[in-house]
Amino acid sequence: MNIQTAITMTTAETALVDAYTTQLGDLPGDGAVLSARDALLNALKTEGLPTRRIESWHYTDLRALLRSVPAFDSTAFAEGVDPLVEDSTVLRIINGKASVSGVPDGIHVRRYGDSLVDGVAAADLVERGSDDAIGRINGAFVRDGFEIEIPEDTELARPLELQLVQSAGQSHSRLPVTFGANSKAVVIERHLSTNDAPSLVSIVSDLIVDDGADITWIILQQQGASDNHLGQINFDLGADAKLKLFVINAGGKLVRQEVHGVTTGEDSDFQMRGINLLGGDSHTDVTFTLGHDVPNTTSIEVIRNVLFDRAKGVFQGQIRVAPDAQKTDARMACNTLLLSDDADFSAKPELEIFADDVQCGHGATVIDLNPTHLYYLQARGIPEGKARGMLVNAFVDEIVEELEDEALIEHLETIIAAWLDKHA
Amino acid sequence: MPAVQETIDQVALIDVDQYKYGFETKIEMDKAPKGLSEEIIRFISNKKQEPEWMLEWRLDAYRRWLTLEEPTWARVDYPKIDFNDLYYYAAPKGQTGPKSLDEVDPELLRVYEKLGIPLREQEMLAGVKTSKIAVDAVFDSVSVVTTFKEELKKAGVIFMSISEAIREYPDLVKKYLGSVVPTTDNFYATLNSAVFTDGSFVFVPKGVRCPMELSTYFRINEKGTGQFERTLIIAEEGAYVSYLEGCTAPQRDENQLHAAVVELVALDDAEIKYSTVQNWYPGDKEGKGGIYNFVTKRGDCRGNRSKISWTQVETGSAITWKYPSCILRGDDSRGEFYSIAVSNGYQQIDSGTKMIHLGKNTSSRIVSKGIAAGFSQNTYRGQVSTHRKASNARNFTQCDSLLIGGKCGAHTVPYIEAKNSTAQFEHEATTSKISEDQLFYCLQRGIPEEAAIALIVNGFVKEVIQELPMEFAVEAQKLIGISLEGSVG
Repeated sequence: MNIQTAITMTTAETALVDAYTTQLGDLPGDGAVLSARDALLNALKTEGLPTRRIESWHYTDLRALLRSVPAFDSTAFAEGVDPLVEDSTVLRIINGKASVSGVPDGIHVRRYGDSLVDGVAAADLVERGSDDAIGRINGAFVRDGFEIEIPEDTELARPLELQLVQSAGQSHSRLPVTFGANSKAVVIERHLSTNDAPSLVSIVSDLIVDDGADITWIILQQQGASDNHLGQINFDLGADAKLKLFVINAGGKLVRQEVHGVTTGEDSDFQMRGINLLGGDSHTDVTFTLGHDVPNTTSIEVIRNVLFDRAKGVFQGQIRVAPDAQKTDARMACNTLLLSDDADFSAKPELEIFADDVQCGHGATVIDLNPTHLYYLQARGIPEGKARGMLVNAFVDEIVEELEDEALIEHLETIIAAWLDKHA
Repeated sequence: MPAVQETIDQVALIDVDQYKYGFETKIEMDKAPKGLSEEIIRFISNKKQEPEWMLEWRLDAYRRWLTLEEPTWARVDYPKIDFNDLYYYAAPKGQTGPKSLDEVDPELLRVYEKLGIPLREQEMLAGVKTSKIAVDAVFDSVSVVTTFKEELKKAGVIFMSISEAIREYPDLVKKYLGSVVPTTDNFYATLNSAVFTDGSFVFVPKGVRCPMELSTYFRINEKGTGQFERTLIIAEEGAYVSYLEGCTAPQRDENQLHAAVVELVALDDAEIKYSTVQNWYPGDKEGKGGIYNFVTKRGDCRGNRSKISWTQVETGSAITWKYPSCILRGDDSRGEFYSIAVSNGYQQIDSGTKMIHLGKNTSSRIVSKGIAAGFSQNTYRGQVSTHRKASNARNFTQCDSLLIGGKCGAHTVPYIEAKNSTAQFEHEATTSKISEDQLFYCLQRGIPEEAAIALIVNGFVKEVIQELPMEFAVEAQKLIGISLEGSVG
């Protein structure tokens, strides 16, 4: 619902509007880029941040949850870390500033800041819809990022790690990535924070996966306990293209990760696996929409959530099957382990089907650990605490093990185990 | 099966005009002027000889309603309703409460005969004794007759029209009316609170098992009227009642509005079983006419170990907006929702349920079967939630959709909200067409295709049909057949 009358701005809304005024001179781009930014900020100003009255934000009332926004901090300093997998190609965005170095042959990379300066990026700075708060915030403030092109028939031998390190303040980045026909790559989008200072990070990735490409994209979000993270990944799948998307959330205070995709080529396949490790007072929302727009496409999404403490988790998943997109096969599952009485989890798995010759289904469960499983382990002399840990670990590791790269699996499992050790 | 050619052809030829209850009865009516105002509400209240508090209650609701906006979140699409272009009160003339059936307009009795509803007690008595059913018949704005009143009274059960109950049992009505669906609840419920004209009232006292099925038949007859009925059912400690409502309307070009409110209250150990066979006129094959069915139904399992079960077979109405819900307030209470929603032609259904777990050890079960054919849109929208203190809540939800033809849509929008680690929620939903394997199996055995599809559809909905009282299970099964005629036969 659009709010027509002027709203009373919250602290966070005021901070965003003020930040825009103070940052305007520093934000790259003018002309068309500037008017696109103005339009997005204006929409934010007149409509405010979304509330639960906006259906897609029903469980994440951003207006109420985003209490404050840290100011831009031009003095903030941070250093990159080693890549997750040895020998990876690493591209870093540190406190919102991208640097291009060590790019192997065969990948074309350009700083997004340059595209903003020369104006070619102006066309990107649009909102997906009137509920696209992430698009608005990111578009108004975007400073840098990477434009990446993997040419057709190129296979990346090593993973490409896009490392976004934040120490304080705000950063807003974009990652437009084109995977040429029949290319093959593993990309790790990794978000880290180096300290406890609060920050606001927004990131919008636009993926074009051309015909026959086979791509694995991993989002690993490990920001700090006082950080706000607003992520959005959009993708378009060509014919015979395959995209495996892993979303792992193991950090942040207020996290919204949106995934929006369409299949525009026949016989394409989309796989999504999600692990949300939620503890403390965090609020984490994974919102997913997928449009099966052409016949003969398949998709499977499996989301596993583990909640401790006072954490709040949200999963919204919508599968749309367009009229005439016959032979679509789409499945979605969302399984949640709710391990604390103070935590809560809300799920809204949605199907919107306009074609008849399809197979679509979704399942959602919310449970505690199975007492018989626990008993089985305890009967074998494993203390309860450890037994619980093993079961929780097994619940999420299953997802990670679907990756192909052994080293990557091992590193992710270590991260998960460390998180669980700290929170369980 | 990529929808066999014949099926597609038949869907193209689909004819919802087969609606057999589409006749209109010429009966002299007593009507209030068109439109909605405080005067109209006073007029209705006056006609019903209501006490002052009831009028105030209505006026409060009306004033509240004026501040509300029509909800737009449902997946239904219709032109804006002009609430001032409706008659809010229409009653068969001379009906200030017949003493016996002999005083009822014979034309009216013929209507019910046509509908296949036996109102004459002697006829009922002549039938099999175990299938005795007490009927309350509501025609446009008023209840015309309630059968078996005396026999029920002997058991202590009060079954009468709500207008009568307001006059005869004001304390009971005052205590429970609006306690489940408050006047502030939502746009349509608030409107209903202001202008409701009749409906049924059931009170089953402590420890009584209602000796027969209770049933209400609603009929919209008059042109340009809206029907706003209000039903209130109370089952005291340890009581049991099974209640069924049926609805029909004449075939008209115009859209008519039906905004009912149903409130159920189950105290400790009580059980209420509420079944609906909704067959309002769905509109013609072009999507012209039909009833707008905007209904608020809610049951409150107020007592410990209470149980409320909703079963609905939705085949009619141009638009259905209906979410029979259970508030599981008492410890160990249980809510059930079984639904078959069949849409054809240009029908739009947005229906489902809410299970609100508040007490400890509560459980709920939802089984929803949607069948979409023609150009219809069929949406399941449901919510399952637990309160933070509601330990050991259990829910099982299954919603399956079947699509027949490529021009319709089936949608599932569940909201699952868990706030307690001991909650155990399971939800599954599927959407598919009729399985090729099943069809092939039947055809192999010489069953003609149409019959095979009917067989499979019946199998698809069987789980819900089984929940209906036997007499109505047969009716419901036939109704589904008729609704899908031309598409599955």
